[in-house]
Amino acid sequence: MITLKVALTKTKEELAEIKSELENLAKASDLNAYIGFENSGEGVPILIKDNIQVNGWSVTSGSKILQGYIAPYDATVITKLKSSGMMAFGRSNMDEFAMGSTTESSFYGITKNPYDISRVPGGSSGGAAAAVGGGIAIAALGSDTGGSIRQPAAYCGCVGMKPTYGRVSRYGLAAYASSLDQIGPITQNVEDAAILYDIIKGHDPRDSTSADIEDSKTVINENRKLTIAVIDNYISEASSDIQKAYSDTIKALQDAGHTIVHKNMQNTKYDIATYYILATAEAATNLARFDGVRYGRRAEASNVSDLYYNTRSEGFGDEVKRRILLGNFVLSSGYYDAYYLKAQRVRHLIRDEFNTIFNEADLILSPVAPSVAPKIGAVHDPLEMYKSDMYTIAINLAGLPALSLPVAKDSDGMPIGLQLIAKAFDEQTLFDGAASMEKAVKYTK
Amino acid sequence: MYNNKTSNKEENVQIDNTILEKLEKLSHLKIDDGKKEEIIHQLSDIVAYVENLSELDTSGLDASFSTLTGGTPMREDVSSKQEEVIKSILAHAPQSEDDFFVVPAIIE
Repeated sequence: MITLKVALTKTKEELAEIKSELENLAKASDLNAYIGFENSGEGVPILIKDNIQVNGWSVTSGSKILQGYIAPYDATVITKLKSSGMMAFGRSNMDEFAMGSTTESSFYGITKNPYDISRVPGGSSGGAAAAVGGGIAIAALGSDTGGSIRQPAAYCGCVGMKPTYGRVSRYGLAAYASSLDQIGPITQNVEDAAILYDIIKGHDPRDSTSADIEDSKTVINENRKLTIAVIDNYISEASSDIQKAYSDTIKALQDAGHTIVHKNMQNTKYDIATYYILATAEAATNLARFDGVRYGRRAEASNVSDLYYNTRSEGFGDEVKRRILLGNFVLSSGYYDAYYLKAQRVRHLIRDEFNTIFNEADLILSPVAPSVAPKIGAVHDPLEMYKSDMYTIAINLAGLPALSLPVAKDSDGMPIGLQLIAKAFDEQTLFDGAASMEKAVKYTK
Repeated sequence: MYNNKTSNKEENVQIDNTILEKLEKLSHLKIDDGKKEEIIHQLSDIVAYVENLSELDTSGLDASFSTLTGGTPMREDVSSKQEEVIKSILAHAPQSEDDFFVVPAIIE
């Protein structure tokens, strides 16, 4: 598939041809990455995750409960695409309400990994990553609450970038955990990620958490020599293939002239605990709005109370229900202090720990996931699935930008991604380091 | 002031039927009887796991957190009426009439 950079040089007629080719390829593929082929705007087609509002589209967060809902306005990122020579084209599959790491919980069925259709594409932006990695999309927009852009990108051999919290407007993004959610690009290479990021970023008065900070256009300098921290105690929990890719990448970065410093961070079990308290608490609150009264699917009921219970019980899937129950548990009287407030306090510790490392380093290199993409159906236990988010969630808790990049393949040919993490609002350094790393590891599709 | 309930290992919370019923009510969700045991087991595992935070000293740390500096911005209290959005939402609502959403009787 042509890159976003090249696509932006094409004429209207050429783009129309590319779009129809994309649609044919996607319909012929058995990945189930697209769940719709809607069009909005003119220009380079960008695939949109099913939780980003596009005016007039059925936007459903991969859920039964939003069947029948039609988005009444464009998300700010969509408005920005449309004024930058791009269009929204197609909806990508996702875990229901972005709650999952495999895209197996979607109302629209499982998405498959383009490198091995017996494996998951990761999640929750699994459809977007499978489409870009599988050559049936030029680029896509996903959302990342605990790794939902970076992990599927790593599993599907593409680039996934989560901007700093506040850098990209969340206006029009279906809320999962509002203090963690960010929209970001999934692309074929680092340069395309920077192009798409530059278009979607910027202050938006419609999002009160949007940062009012000027940010100039990203000009990638892959020759910048950086200090990159590696987290020694993280890697022992990853598979041997990931460990090898990690040490090979460190060597490649050193050969490229970067300085490596060795650090340790607190056990990731605290990140996982903090995340699953705070994200579920926020989700329980955000998802209270789905009651069958105003939008989406309404269940049969003879009184209002049954209307709420039936709509929600029939409309939400198991994982969403589990997180709502858990969120209401940690918020409920008697447990609020011990769980919710405790986790809020721990969030300070997590951010402070990153800041301490950033006193000495420009970037941090870390695995994205402890293994390559697992087989479909392999992860049954919710807690085991949560634990697989160990390397990605601390970044959301601290609000930092990070970029996942394919660096190697395992013996079965499955892609391995590693992530670079930068200081808050230092996306420029993130892209500089990522471009250098992309060149240094010489990854081939 | 801050009562760290999880600091005492003996006080580990057990999710049982009573707590699940309370959570179903708070969540406006009904869990099928056949699934209750499994969900109690899963929630218990998760809650037991997140108890690990009690190992961390968080004294003196603020219970509010934001990655943004300057707090929530203030804006003028001006109404913004987007007629098209209102029309679209009502047109696609499960049931609506004039400018209202229609629901089953609230008082029997």
